Amino acid sequence: MIGPGIKRGTAELAVLSVLEDGPLHGYELARRIEQQTKGALRFTLAALYPMLYRMEQRGWIRGAWEISESGRRKRCYRLTPAGKKKLSPLRKEWAELFGALRRLTRVLHA
Amino acid sequence: MRDWESMVVEYLSGLALEPAERAEVIAELATHLEETCEELRRRGIAEEAAVARTLSQVEDWQNLCQRIQSAKTKENIMTNRVKQFWLPSLLTLLLTMGLLMLIQLFGPHPWMVARKNGWTLVAPVAVVYLPWLLSLPVIGAMGAYLSRRAGGSRLAMFSSIVFPVLPYLVFFLLALPVMAIFNDRLAHNIMFGALFVGLFAWVLAPGAALLAGGLLIQVFSSRRLDSRRFVNS
Repeated sequence: MIGPGIKRGTAELAVLSVLEDGPLHGYELARRIEQQTKGALRFTLAALYPMLYRMEQRGWIRGAWEISESGRRKRCYRLTPAGKKKLSPLRKEWAELFGALRRLTRVLHA
Repeated sequence: MRDWESMVVEYLSGLALEPAERAEVIAELATHLEETCEELRRRGIAEEAAVARTLSQVEDWQNLCQRIQSAKTKENIMTNRVKQFWLPSLLTLLLTMGLLMLIQLFGPHPWMVARKNGWTLVAPVAVVYLPWLLSLPVIGAMGAYLSRRAGGSRLAMFSSIVFPVLPYLVFFLLALPVMAIFNDRLAHNIMFGALFVGLFAWVLAPGAALLAGGLLIQVFSSRRLDSRRFVNS
């Protein structure tokens, strides 16, 4: 059964999946998602930060200030153990959604 | 060079967070905007156009402000509510009722308030446990201290310390109109006087005793705050 929070869940899945590869700061995170989805998923500042803060409050990610190579202070986000645990049910939901849509479109085209 | 931070400070002027947390959000968003603009400039876009495109990421700053605030404080509100209201309330309730039970079992005989008719007591009757009433300000003070220490507002503090008398208050508030309606139809009339004496003995007197303790803590903490302000100024 696909839950009602699937829309928000997909955005959270995108963030958690990208952070699984390593810590990133907000701007880089948005760019990485855009690059990896070939522009299909884009996060503006207004969409990204409330979501990051909410995920941080839930304990899925943790932000910490770091000095980048350019000497600029940036807040880097990394996945927490709770975030890693959250990834697998989210992936399952996501796969279920795509499976359902695939079955549906096949029926429609038959 | 554009001062993105000042710009974000102005746009997020309504952001009601702790000063340190607010400063972090502002710095983070300003860095994001700065990097976006720099990237656009690297792609050869003119500065004014780059700034306009950067700022177009946020259509409604007021809305963003509310969403950030809600994301940052929603979970806190839940835990704060527990610390500032529910925990002191339940502790006050537990101590108040536990002490009443102990006094009823092992304490001195209660003070019976009633009109005497020869050898018999005639209603209205109230059973007043004086040692219990005298100990309530201490319990109230404890509840108030816990709520205050967790950063509770005055409302949270006073609500948590009168929490033990609220069930009795609800009972009397429900009983009064019910009595007013059904009094004439009952074989044994219920006396309004008894109900008001009960209201005094189980709601007003214990409530006032609990509040007295809370008030002491409130006065004490206000004085401490004033003296700290005086030292800092």
